[in-house]
Parts: sequence; structure tokens; C-alpha cells
Amino acid sequence: MNIFEKSQAIKNQELKAKDNLDNFLRTIDNTNDSINAFLEINKEDAINKAETLDKKIQNKEKVGSLAGLVFSIKANINVEDFIISAASKTLENYKGSYNATVIDKILKEDGIILGITNMDEFAAGSSSETSYYGITDNPAAPGRIPGGSSGGSAATIAGDMCDISLGSDTGGSIRNPASHCGIMGFKPTYGAVSRQGLIDLSMSLDQIGPMAKDVTGLSMALDTIVAHDPSECSSIDYKKPNFTQTALNAKNSESPFEGMTIAVCDEFRSITDDKINKIVDKKINELSSLGAEVIDFCFHYIDLCLPTYYLINYVEFFSATRKFDGRKFGHRIEDVCGDEVFRRIEMGSYISQKEFSGKYYKHALKARSLIKDEINAMLKGLDFIMSSTVPKLPHKIGEKLDPMEMYAYDVLTVIANLSGIPAASMKAGEVDGIPVGLQIQANSLEDEKIIHALSALEEI
Amino acid sequence: MKCGLEIHVQLETNSKLFCECKTNYQEAPANTNICPVCLNQPGAKPYPTNEKAIENALMISLMLNCKIDKNLTYFMRKHYDYPDLPSGFQRTSVPIGYEGELNGVGITEIHMEEDPGQFKPDRGIVDFNRSGIPLIEIVTEPEMYSPEEARSFLKELIRVLQYSGGARGEGTMRADVNISIEGGNRVEMKNINSIKGAYKALKFEIVRQKNLMKRGVEVKQETRAFLESQMITVGMRLKEDADDYRFIPDPDLPPMKVSDEDIAEVEETMPEAPHNKVKRFIESYNIDEESAKVLTSELDLAVAYEEIVKEIDPKFAAMWMKDELQRVLTYNKLSFEDSGIVVDDLIELFSLLQNKEITTKAGQRIIENMPNNKQTPKAIAEELGLIGIVKDDEIIEAVKKTIKENPKAIEDYNNGQKASLNFLVGQVMKLTRGKADPGETVKLIKDNIN
Ligand SMILES: [Zn+2]
Repeated sequence: MNIFEKSQAIKNQELKAKDNLDNFLRTIDNTNDSINAFLEINKEDAINKAETLDKKIQNKEKVGSLAGLVFSIKANINVEDFIISAASKTLENYKGSYNATVIDKILKEDGIILGITNMDEFAAGSSSETSYYGITDNPAAPGRIPGGSSGGSAATIAGDMCDISLGSDTGGSIRNPASHCGIMGFKPTYGAVSRQGLIDLSMSLDQIGPMAKDVTGLSMALDTIVAHDPSECSSIDYKKPNFTQTALNAKNSESPFEGMTIAVCDEFRSITDDKINKIVDKKINELSSLGAEVIDFCFHYIDLCLPTYYLINYVEFFSATRKFDGRKFGHRIEDVCGDEVFRRIEMGSYISQKEFSGKYYKHALKARSLIKDEINAMLKGLDFIMSSTVPKLPHKIGEKLDPMEMYAYDVLTVIANLSGIPAASMKAGEVDGIPVGLQIQANSLEDEKIIHALSALEEI
Repeated sequence: MKCGLEIHVQLETNSKLFCECKTNYQEAPANTNICPVCLNQPGAKPYPTNEKAIENALMISLMLNCKIDKNLTYFMRKHYDYPDLPSGFQRTSVPIGYEGELNGVGITEIHMEEDPGQFKPDRGIVDFNRSGIPLIEIVTEPEMYSPEEARSFLKELIRVLQYSGGARGEGTMRADVNISIEGGNRVEMKNINSIKGAYKALKFEIVRQKNLMKRGVEVKQETRAFLESQMITVGMRLKEDADDYRFIPDPDLPPMKVSDEDIAEVEETMPEAPHNKVKRFIESYNIDEESAKVLTSELDLAVAYEEIVKEIDPKFAAMWMKDELQRVLTYNKLSFEDSGIVVDDLIELFSLLQNKEITTKAGQRIIENMPNNKQTPKAIAEELGLIGIVKDDEIIEAVKKTIKENPKAIEDYNNGQKASLNFLVGQVMKLTRGKADPGETVKLIKDNIN
């Protein structure tokens, strides 16, 4: 039963919302202590909400499209009355003072928000090891990192603790843990989902998106959270598709990839582990047999991506964290944060100095438009760019990586953020029992097309 | 000496620059006009820039004869650490207007900013009601050469801002004043909150710097704080310690573009700048420059004048408003707007005068009673018994009677004692209960003696 079918079952009284919730609560009771995916849950409110919904359904009252589905939320998205710490000691006492736009939308559609998930501190990481609240284990590959920064969210999905999770993706933070945990993760087009209420990592790159076990979970969440938000300046106003309908249609299509073209790049393959390439190639070849045309493309700026991404990230993060001066929230960020957050603040402060103005940051912005132009040129007349999501397997918890090794996890995912295009990851297979993700990128605003592809691939 | 100014004044808008909170921060109890955006709570993003604020900034730029930047304009983040700044940076736009002029002083540029909150160390709180209120910053060239020039520039500027209706008054002004005297370095003075303060700060600084020079001490390039209570300046920091604000374009706000249509729209609806109004008053009402300046010194007064001249001779109205009305307003320390005197009252008064239903003297007494008086001029006149100029034959009769009854005075006058004429006029006034026109009476007495 996929998530759409489950939501129908709840509405048809074949499954009680309360029973769905209870299943998750049992799993959480048994496993969350060891996995450390949820930082906080509100059992009582969730149970009340589920029971109210069941009653409403029994009384044939109208309920929202997400009625009875259970959500976990990354700890950098404001939810009233939960501690929204961004997994940092800096905000250990900060209670969400308002609901992010996406949260209001989920509540309006009767989604049940069960709790808040672990992450890399301020989303500055790719392993979820930098949380002030400890490391999250990978339910799909125990003993290994779940990826990050939305590692807690991915683990709540992979560990059967909820239906859908919201994460945030600045350079791969949804897709990377989705890949490592063997689930689906979706980063929408920049501006398609309101960032109002999302704690900043890098404002021009951040995007909220859903994570789930199957494509109907992603699409139902997208139907709710993709919307123009007049209170957020980067929010775009466009005619949004019906993602769930698209997902369902793709499943019934005879030849869902007929006439579609997919770009693959040697530059992406050459930096990826062979074992991972093998799995991903196999998946792409299957598409070929389903009617897709696969074309080889060159992407010239692969070496520019990480430096460009990190320069922008450092500067914007430095700016975003100036409010954590210790006056309002108790701790000055520099006094209590971990090494990686401190490194980014210091670097951001250093390169945004007046004497370097024009040297680093402006060059990074220039490089960014080069990358964007190149990607858009590549996608022109094409449908997808496909590759692995992450070029290597998740390391074992406890293994020490230097910052550059850690950054290398992001090389294939930062491109979508730098160019604003939509991108998703789904499980392509396993290497030695460890999940490997396939990344699908498409033209800006063609989020629907990715849902179509994910749904069709899911059926294979 | 040379002096330049950086003047901040709040723009007149209902809501803040990047959220929907109200801007009446002085009336509201501390920390009631706030929301996650202007408090800069974690995750809160600015709403799209307040369009009224942009429009007002554009209008003021045009009224100060600025060129308008038609390229992309955007907000920068200016980072600094202070309790009143909840985000750790202030949003400040690139110039909206540049190369303007007022009173012969060049306007370097005009841009928008957001106001920080108010740190109240005495009460140990920061009041964020003010946080996010739109400001305009007007930067001038160093083209004022005395404290007096700076003062009259500021007065004129506040007048333009008041005229525009797009900015708040001197009460919200904060100015940085820079001064350099030949042989010394440029000194910037901060915390100046009034025109008087700017004037006093410059006066003090000239004396301080000249004294240093006399003693052969170098005037260092530095920033000084003005202490309003003592009217002195004290050192804050030297140039070497200048802050690095680490300016970056705000990633949360898309660039804006001012189009020719936007400019045309504002130009069509914006009020006439006072200096342009002076010119027009002189030309279309045929009045002198001094009257025109007085009449345009306050927008409400200028508007009233233009209403009045639809019914009253413009020269006559200008004379009365420049001399008598101003005298009364000054005496009562009132602006025209706050005086309670309305256009219809002035028209009634001027008609009484022009129709010779009252004397000039009576008119003066009536206008003195007009501020914040619900009675009409006619009612005031009646109450004070000032209605009516005695008809000519009545006056002539009074004159004749006076001459007849005061032969001694006539003799004295004829013998060259001019002062006795005053006595005779007084007698006529007495007989007519003050309603005769003094000038006319003098003439009549002279005529009748001979
Ligand atoms: Zn507000």
C-alpha cells in the first residue's frame, strides 16, 4: 500500500488514522533511542489530532487531503511550540514562535505533525554528525551515516517512524540522505515552495522539500506545499500542476518514457565510485529499453561547482547568523557552535571583508551564472539529466573525514541549487547492502516531469 | 570651513518596510508593533518591499531634483553588532536618486534604509516597535560653508519633506554632520537629532578645532558623538578603527527596477517643491519674493492662499497674510495648520476689510482673536463692537465738531505745533468710537482747517 492508497484507506474508514499513528509510535518507542532520528515528539497532540480526524471521517465531515498522514519536520523549519534548534546549542531554548508557511499548509490539509528531526548543525554538513544532539544512525545501513543535512528526516522515513518528512536542501541536504537511506527525496525548483520560516543556511540556495518511501508521498506533500507565498520574495507564482494525478497517471502509462531524452555526463561518472556507477548505469539502461533516448553530454564546469557553492554558502551563512548574537536566544553562536559552523562563519566573515569585495564573493556569483547557463543550455530540448546522487557510499559512523572529503559528497547535488532547477533522488539499488541513489534533474519549473519519472521508475 | 550632511528621516507609511506592522511606534506600548519579520526571528524572511515607501523615496528624490537610477536597484545588508539590531544587519538600498540640488547645495545621493529598534539602557529593554520603519537617507556634498548655511539648508530640506507628504518631520531626523576646516582633517559628528543640534555641533566643533590648530595640534580624522544635553562633541573613534560592514546584496530580496512610467506617475501626482512654488506665486499672483517665501513656508498656508485668492485680491491677501497673520502665528507660537484658522474665516475677514466694513485697526484686533476661536471674524467684530466704518458725512460732522470745540488746538497747529494734530485725530476717534480711518481723518482735518 503506497501513501496515496493509505490516505484513501483512512478516508474510507478501512484504516484508522489512530492505528496508523500508533504503528509509528510503537516503532519510535522501540528504535528512536538507538537511531536518534526524532529530537522531540508530541505524542499527546498527535493522538488527539488522529482521534479527532477519525471521528470527523466517521461523521462524514470533510477532511483535508493529508488527513491522518504523519509528518516529521526537520529542526530548522519553524513549528509552533516545538524546540526549533537547528540542532545547535545556539538555539537549544528557542521554541518555534510561529509556523512556517509550509507547516500552516500541512495543518490545513489535516496532516499530523508528530515531531522534529535531527540534522547537521544549521544544516551545515552532509552526514548529520555535527548535531549538538548527537549522531543519527542510518536505518537502511546501520552503523553508517544517514547522510545530511536532513539525516534525521531520512531516518524517520527509512526507519518507519512516519509517512512523510520535510527537509531542506541547500546543496543536496534532502537528496543526499535520501540516497544514503534508500528513500525518495525531492528538491523543488527554487521559489516553488515558500522559505518563510526556514532557518537560513544560504538564502539563495535553500529550498524546502519532501521525503517519503514512495512517489505518492512526495507528490501529495508537493500538492500541499508548492504554492505562491506573497510574504516571501523568492516565491514564484506559477500554475501549479496536480502532482498526485501525475504520479498516478505515470503508473498506468504503457510507455512512460517514449520520446523522452536523458542526458548523462562523463564528468559526473568519472568522479563517482565504479560500484555506484554500475548500479546507476543499469537503471538508466532500463529507461532506454522503455523508450527513452540517452545522450552523452559534457559539463565543463564540474571543478567550479564546489568552490562556487561553498563561497556563496559561507558568505550568506555568515550574514544569516549575525542575529545569533547571544542577546535574544541566550548563546552567541560562535561561543557554542561546532567546528563546521564555526569554520563557515569565519570563512564568510573573512571573504566578505571590504578589501576582498569583488575578489571572492562576486567571482562566486559570476561562476554561479556560468554554471546556471551551462546547465540550462544542456537541458534545452532535453527532459532530464541523470546521474548518481552522491559519488560515494556513506562512511561508517566514527570515521573521521577532513572537510574537503566531506564537501566532496556534495559535488553532484550542488549543481541543482546553484542553478535553481528541481532535482530528486530515488533508490537505484544497493552496493554491499548499502543503498545507492539515482539523481534526476530537470528544467526549472518542470518538477512535475520528475514526479512522472520517479513514478514510472518505481513501477519497474 | 566646509560641511556636508547625511540626514535620516522616516518615510511616511502605514506599515513597515518589510512587514505589515504599523508604524506608530511612539504611541504604541513598547514591543507591541512587532512580528517575526521585524523581530528577525529565526527563519523569518522580509515581505516584498513596501511600495508606498519606494514611491515616497522616488518622490522626494524628484522634488530634490535628483536623477533617478533606472538600472536595477537593490538592498544591501550592512552588518554590525548592536542591541537594537535584531538581525545583526541593516538593510540599506543602493541609491534611488543621485546628483540632486537644494538651496545651491549638491545632493550626492538618496537611498532607503530600515530603522533599527530603540535600545533603552535606562529601562534595560530594546523596544522593537521602531524596527523596520522605512527611512530615507539624504547625503549632501560638502558644500555648506558656515553653521548658518547648514541650518538654513536643513530648514529648507525639512520644508521640502513636509511638502512632499512622503516623510515625517524634524522629530524623526537623525543627522551625521561632517566638517573640515582648512589645515585639518575631516571630522564626522553623529547623534544629531535636530536642526538646532546640527547648528550647535558645528559651532562647537569650529571653536574646538581652531583651538587645536592654534596650539599646533593636528585635527585628526575621526568620528565624534554630539551630546545634545551639553551641546558639545566628544571623540568616538579614529579613522583606523572604522567598521567593516561587509556589505552584500540581500539574497532574500529581488532587485527592483524603476521604470519611466513609475517616474511619470510620481511626477504627475507629487506636490510642487517649495522653491518652485515661490517662483510660480511671484509670476501668477504678481506678489514680491518676500511675500511668496512667507506664504510657501508652510504647505497648508500656501494651499490656503491659493484658495483665498479665488475671491480676494491676491496682493491684498498676500500683504495681510505675510504681515498680520504671520505676526499672530509667531506670537502664539503656532503653525497655520495648528492655528484653527480656516480659509473661509480669512476670506470673511479680508472681505470686511476690502468692503470697508471695518477699519485696518479693527482687522488687526480681529485677527489677533482668531487662533483656535470657533467664532467667525464677523462675530468677533460684533462682540468687540468693531463693525462698521463711520460713513464719510458722519466723520466730516465729527471733524467739524472737533474743530469747532478746540480752537486752541487749531491755533497751535497753525502755529507749527504738528503734535496737536494727533490730539485732534484722537478727538475725532473718540466721537466715532474708533471707527474712523486714522489716515482719512488726518486728511479731513487738514482740509477743513484751511
Ligand atoms: Zn513586523
